[in-house]
Amino acid sequence: MSELDLGFMGEVANTPRGKGILLCIQCGRCSSGCPVARLTSEHNPRRLMEMIILGFKKEVLPTQLPWYCLSCFTCLDRCPQGGDVGEVTFAIRNLAVRQGNIPAGVAAQAKSLYETTRVINPVRTALDKRESLGLGKITTDGLEEVQKILKRTGMEKIIKSV
Amino acid sequence: MEEKAVLVVGGGISGIQASLDLASRGYKVYLVEKSPSIGGRMAQLDKTFPTMDCSMCILAPKMIDCSHHHNVQLLTYSEVKGVKGSPGNFVVSVLRKPRFVDETKCTGCGICADHCPVEVPNEFDENLGMRKAIYMPFPQAVPRAMTVDKTNCIECGLCQKMCQAGAVDLKQQPQEVELNVGAIIVSIGFDLFDSSQIPTYGYGRYKNVVTALELERLLCASGPTGGHLIRPSDGKIPRKIAFIQCVGSRDRRFGTTYCSSICCKYSVKDAVLIKEHEPNTMVSIFYIDLRAFGKGFQEFVNRAKSEYGVRFVRSSPGEILEDPATKNLRIWYEDTVAGRIENTEFDLVVLCPALVPRAGARELAKVLGAEVDDYGFFKAANILTNPVDTTVHGIFVCGYCLGPKTGDIPDSIMQGSATAARVAEEEWLRKSG
Amino acid sequence: MKYAFYLGCLIPARELSYEVSVRKVLPELGIELVDMKGTNCCAPFSIQSVDHASWIALAARNLCLAEEMGLDVMTLCNDCYESLLMVNTLLKKNPALRDQVNQILSEVGKEYKGKVDVKNLVDVLHGDVGVSKVKGAIKEPINELRVGTQPGCHLTKPKRIHFELLRGYNELDVLVQATGAESVPYERKEMCCGGPLRDINDDLARQVSRQKLKALKDAEVQAVVTVCPFCFLQLDLGQLEIKRHFNEEYNLPVIHFIELLRMGMGMKLEEWEVKAHRIPITNIIEGRL
Repeated sequence: MSELDLGFMGEVANTPRGKGILLCIQCGRCSSGCPVARLTSEHNPRRLMEMIILGFKKEVLPTQLPWYCLSCFTCLDRCPQGGDVGEVTFAIRNLAVRQGNIPAGVAAQAKSLYETTRVINPVRTALDKRESLGLGKITTDGLEEVQKILKRTGMEKIIKSV
Repeated sequence: MEEKAVLVVGGGISGIQASLDLASRGYKVYLVEKSPSIGGRMAQLDKTFPTMDCSMCILAPKMIDCSHHHNVQLLTYSEVKGVKGSPGNFVVSVLRKPRFVDETKCTGCGICADHCPVEVPNEFDENLGMRKAIYMPFPQAVPRAMTVDKTNCIECGLCQKMCQAGAVDLKQQPQEVELNVGAIIVSIGFDLFDSSQIPTYGYGRYKNVVTALELERLLCASGPTGGHLIRPSDGKIPRKIAFIQCVGSRDRRFGTTYCSSICCKYSVKDAVLIKEHEPNTMVSIFYIDLRAFGKGFQEFVNRAKSEYGVRFVRSSPGEILEDPATKNLRIWYEDTVAGRIENTEFDLVVLCPALVPRAGARELAKVLGAEVDDYGFFKAANILTNPVDTTVHGIFVCGYCLGPKTGDIPDSIMQGSATAARVAEEEWLRKSG
Repeated sequence: MKYAFYLGCLIPARELSYEVSVRKVLPELGIELVDMKGTNCCAPFSIQSVDHASWIALAARNLCLAEEMGLDVMTLCNDCYESLLMVNTLLKKNPALRDQVNQILSEVGKEYKGKVDVKNLVDVLHGDVGVSKVKGAIKEPINELRVGTQPGCHLTKPKRIHFELLRGYNELDVLVQATGAESVPYERKEMCCGGPLRDINDDLARQVSRQKLKALKDAEVQAVVTVCPFCFLQLDLGQLEIKRHFNEEYNLPVIHFIELLRMGMGMKLEEWEVKAHRIPITNIIEGRL
């Protein structure tokens, strides 16, 4: 077992979406209802919270643990304390990304956003169909502004480093 | 100085104790109770914790004392409608709802009920059993008189015809009575959180998901099944029973963020009871924390584990699904100690719901001018130093309507006696001479 | 009533039929849709996972565009709805956050002022058009069709009224009943379709939608009605993927609510629109239009 990072919980609690970690009483209602936890033991919201609380930073941030969440917010819906595991998961993901842990699918969407303002783009046939139906064009008019924003927030740097 | 009377609102164990204490000190007590009989929640229970005494056996003698004591006047099937005046001199108007039966004549023989053609769910049995439109809520009711439920009565007049004592009077009118009292004690008790607010637990949709109070009625010999624990859907004896704690309690979603304080204890009691009766039943208690404070309770829990084999699973379940064919329930939960998601099938699921203020508590508080807290429980004048005084001088409060910091039956009795003592020490109530 | 129409990314890319039906139906009900120009992605969960400030700023930029149009936003996709609504709510409630975002937005000449609301299609149909008007527009009632609705995770959760879903009081069910179809209760109605796991773990995504389809099958529904393009993709195309990977067939036609409504209003679906449904919807349109 590697060293614990006892400041991990505080670090997460100080992020905008991670405050809920302070409220967790480990009752297990989140994982009891989680659609993904039912399918695989690799994903367990309560355990994720437990690991954060105990300081298992090295076991959480570089792994796939934060990434199987559906963001369906079933856990948020059921948590008696307002701990909001789904929200905390976003906070963890933000931290994980800064350590270079980002799934390929997410990286691809971020890249697409930076290059075209959209995470998914229509293929040629879809664009042709659009035109034939007389629907408005899909443009990249907002691209310059989007790139300025992403540069300012620092996300540009992350995208380029992936 | 004229002897003053005292009004006690709510005829549960807490109010009964306060009434008896005051009566034996020489005070005149008016005990007003909304339902047809005094007794309250304790009358609905099978056995009490931790002594495992039969609840009614402990309660009934006190109920009889109330009815026989020359200083206690019972006003059942009645409600407090208005209060005027000041401490030492309250004028209370009480509405006596018509029970269409003369209490002084009725012997409680029940022939009327035998012939009544109307059957409706029995509230006392938490709607698990039936009663007639003319009824006695339970066999040991005090006063021992029948009551006609006019909303369901079809006015066939059979009861009147069959009554040998001429006690049925279908023309009875509501009565407004004015009482002059020096002090008021509130002891209206609690209601259960409506578990259907948590749809994933299936209460109200699945027949074999019941509340703990419904379980008490199923276990109780005077209940709808004669004390045989059988499943509501098919009458079979359940072999695998689950208790789910904190249904509504400690839950910020519903505003009932407090711990209801008695559920861990009573569920262990019920688990042991069931095991004593049918040792081969698998009983599992799903909990977040096991709150077994006080003398003897932790020991009881330990015995439940080691001697009786009650399973304790540290988990708050996510959802319950019903098998449409068998009506068995499948609970999905994570065993937080093992760290594994599991699902297990049970025959019967018992929900331990939060205990909430009685319907009508806020309205009564308004009538009295007393404050309630954010949850709707009566507020003590000072939680630390004056825990049984309300915010109105001369009005006191005891029992669960004060809130869940009260424990269970012994605490309710203690608080009843405490309010009696508070009334007795108030100077403007002392008898002269 | 006029709305700034926010299309999102998925619909133009893969579900043109949804867009077309919306453009055909809503004007008939008195709703005018004004296309938003120069929008960017709403910043769904994938982007939120990368950076928090970017999410807020990107969503806020879209809200600024709507403010410049002076119109409330209407979205079709549940993820867009949740993203834009949550950011709108956060910014309205939190002046400090608003200042931070406006500092970023000032670099592109924009300022969030908190002047518009965000609605989804169900909000507009149920709230603004109203159920009686919807019902009144029905010329060919969709009788004898047992439907399981998939409201989707983010239709109601941003408003935190999640529990209603299992009790069938949700607005989508009411709208479905207004067309004449029967909205049937089923277990795990509130469950996610699995969409967000696409491209992250396709196998898990499939397993999640499989659980959902099984629950729908158990309730013996004849069709599944969606409002979110992701849910549609997961449950419609998803059935083909499940057949390939699990060798199971559900044969549950999936259709967007707006398409059902369109049929109920007497407007026929064109051939290419019918074909856009991977699981044939013949049993829905047969004998009707």
